[in-house]
Formats: sequence, C-alpha cells, structure tokens
Amino acid sequence: MDFSLSTEQNEIVLWAREIAGKIKSIAFNPEFSAEQFDGKIIRLLARNNLLCPTIPHEYGGLGMDRFTTALVIEEIAVGFPSAAAVVDATIHAAEPILLAGSRKQKEKYLPLLTGNNAGIASFALTEAAGGSDLTMLKTIAAKDNGGFVLNGRKDWVINVDRAEFMAVIGAVAENKRKSALRVFIVPRAAQGFSLGIKRRTIGLDHLYIGEAIFNDACIDKGNVIKIDEAGSGYLLLTQTFDLGRAMVGATSVGIARAAYETALDYAENRWQFGAAIRKHQAVAFALAEMATKIEMARLITWKACWLMDQGGDYSVSSAMAKMAASNIAQEVTAQAADILGAAGCEKGSFIEQLVRDARVLTTIEGTNNMQKLVISSQL
Amino acid sequence: MSFKDIGLKIQIAREEKGLSQEQLAKAMGCSQSALSNYEKGKRRLYLSQLEVLARILDKPLDYFVESISPKNNAGDFPGKESSRQKIETALEKLDEKQLLQVIDYINYLQWNRTGGY
Repeated sequence: MDFSLSTEQNEIVLWAREIAGKIKSIAFNPEFSAEQFDGKIIRLLARNNLLCPTIPHEYGGLGMDRFTTALVIEEIAVGFPSAAAVVDATIHAAEPILLAGSRKQKEKYLPLLTGNNAGIASFALTEAAGGSDLTMLKTIAAKDNGGFVLNGRKDWVINVDRAEFMAVIGAVAENKRKSALRVFIVPRAAQGFSLGIKRRTIGLDHLYIGEAIFNDACIDKGNVIKIDEAGSGYLLLTQTFDLGRAMVGATSVGIARAAYETALDYAENRWQFGAAIRKHQAVAFALAEMATKIEMARLITWKACWLMDQGGDYSVSSAMAKMAASNIAQEVTAQAADILGAAGCEKGSFIEQLVRDARVLTTIEGTNNMQKLVISSQL
Repeated sequence: MSFKDIGLKIQIAREEKGLSQEQLAKAMGCSQSALSNYEKGKRRLYLSQLEVLARILDKPLDYFVESISPKNNAGDFPGKESSRQKIETALEKLDEKQLLQVIDYINYLQWNRTGGY
C-alpha cells in the first residue's frame, strides 16, 4: 500500500492551493458581493478549467481521476468552501451524462462545463415531498410530439440560477415505480423552466440554492438519458450519489483543515501566562485531536476515491467518507472556534463561516442518516 | 428498495436460467465470491453491469429494479411471477403421488394462514 502522491499530483495540489489562495483573498475581502462570486470566483475556476475536472480531455476537460479531483477539491475548500461546493454540484450534474449519456449528449453538454468560458450545472432531485424516497417524487414527463412535456417543482437545487443545464430526475409514468425514473437534461433556456424560491442557508450561503419550476417544459427526446431502458434512471441515480459522496468528503476535509490551520496559527501567536497558548496542554491536545481527525477523514476519502479509480466497490467507502468527514468538519470547526476564544465568536470571521459551512455539509448529498442506511444495507 | 432485493432477483433469474453461480460469474467476468455478494446485496451493481447481467439472463433491466416486496407492488411484481413459474416447472417433474403430497402441503399452508386450530 502506498499513500504517497505522484509528482504530478503534488504539482496539481500546489497549483490548486495557489488558486484557492486567490479565491480566499477575493471571498474574504470586506467588499465581497454575490456578483463577485459569479464574476470573479467562478470565472477564476473556469479559466483554470476546474469547474468540472472529471470531464475527459476529448470534451475539453482535464480528465482527472477521482483521487486527484478530491485533492483539488480539498484545496479549494480550504480557501473558500462555497467554491468547492459549486464544483461538487457541477461534477454531480455531469455524472449521469458521463456514465450513460449518448455520444451526442456528451458532445453537446460536457463542453459547456469546460474551457475558459465554462459554466456550471445543477442536479435537481429533491422535491417538497421528498428526495431520498424516490417513490415520493412527483415530477412527471408526458410524451408529446416525439419529445416530453415536463411538469414538477424541484427544490434545494444548487447553482440553479446560472446552470448551463440541469440534470432533472423525473418519471415517464405516474405509477411511482422506480423503473419509470429517467434523467432529463434540461438546458437553461428551456421553455417552461423558471426559478422559484431562493433558499437562504446557514452555511455555504454564497451558493445560489433554490427551486426549479417546470411548467409544461418541452424536452427533446434526445435530452433524456437511456430513454428506452426502463430501470436505467434508478441505477444511474444510485451510482451518481455513490460517486458524489466522496467529493463532499473532500470538501469537508478542506473545511476542517482550514479551521485547524487557523487555530494552529492563532495558538502559535497568542500569548497567555508567559507562553504561546499552543504550549499549554489543553490547547496542544485539542490541536492533536483535530489533526488526527482530519487525517482520518482524509484517508477514508482517499480510499473511496482510490476504489472508484480502480473499478472497485466504492459504495460503502464513499458513504463512510461523506458521513465521517462531514461530522469531523463540524467537530474540528467547533474546536477551532474554542481555541480562538472571543475571536471565534466574531460574526463575519473566517472561523464563523467555516462553522456554518460544516453544518450544511452534513445534509447535502444525502443526510448522514441516509449514509448510515446505505452503509448498513451492505453489511 | 435495497440492493438485497436486486440480489434476490439476480438469484431467481440465474436459477431460472439453470446457471450456477460459477457459470454466471464466468459469463459476467467477475469472481464467484463477487457474484455471491451481489446476490446477497452486500455489493452494489450499477447500470453498466446490470445491463450485461440482464442480457445474459434474458431479463429486462426493470425486472431487477422493481421491488420484490408485495406491499409495494401487490399482484404484479416480477419476483412473484418467477416463483409461480418455478413451481409450475417443478410440478411437471412430479408423479401423481408426489402431486397429492403437494396438494396436502398447500392445504396445510392455507389452513395455517387462517389461524389453524
């Protein structure tokens, strides 16, 4: 077993760290605004072709494997977690196309997420009645003139305001059977699509998260993945989630590391009772615990990604990575805030943002109780 | 719906086809232990793998995806049809005396379901 990174991976980490540093300097400038998130941060990621690094070279992407992608996402999350979450969501939206899209679908949609002018994408599953329970979904696509008319209301859709396209989960029949589910690729300009409520979240609050409303939205038959294969949508969904969970694990590791590094720096420079507070055992032990937890979260995330790249069985490892890393991100950000003392209570501080961001990660990509369900079903 | 249901469907379809785990694993290009884990629901199969399996076992993909639980799809779930077909096939191989024993057993099951004594 070898835990060392290749020369190329080390170079990629340093490159991503440099970009993350630039992103952080934009995001934590007092003048920072929502417009700058789009105009500066997403553009910066696009210029470096990092909005969806898993897309193969032939479609203009970086063709990164999952392991290297996790390294990059950790670095971006250290700088600014919301930026990493935008990348996570875009990778998630592209996944069904990468896994089972036709050549035509790949050629049409994947290049929209690559290159200098790359955009972002959305994955739309959750509805008011449910998300994890697929039999509760109400979004329906009825056949019409060789295509489909889509009706439904998706919620908690990340990137929905500016997505180049959405991967929307709907059913082609009203019988609530899993075999009726399909993935519809809905372009931003689709007639019948509109934005609904914008959700305000306690963390990752720079993201645009909200409703996507489909009111007689006309979808070309060519925009449905494996339209003629009943059962394909359900299987694509499970694989998409199994692949995506480890990426949330990597984002969580980045958040935890950012909090730890902030706390360590503070502890080295804050003097109390004649010494830097990191010399006091209470703080030193807390830092030791934090470093250990981060290493645990990173290793389990790496293992899940390694299994994905090797063609191994990654479902359980990926769910474990998401659950463990997002829990650890919550624990480590709270410990870091404790070490910072009064400075850890300040509204608008970097640590305050990290505490709030970590809380959201326990919920997105399936709650941690859902991860337990995935893991326990395979024991 | 759990992958245990999908695993059970694989086992039923494999037995219908008259294949051993070893034979099916060879046709799929995986190890027998991997197939055993798929059938137990301890390992997940994804779209591309199930497409291969469906072709080998002459089943549509949705056969594997729909729940085997009667409470979800009462009356028409594929697993139930498969069990009925299996019983019918097995009955053809029995002699008259054995068929009478089967009838006795069915009567016992019906009696037991209504509460017995």
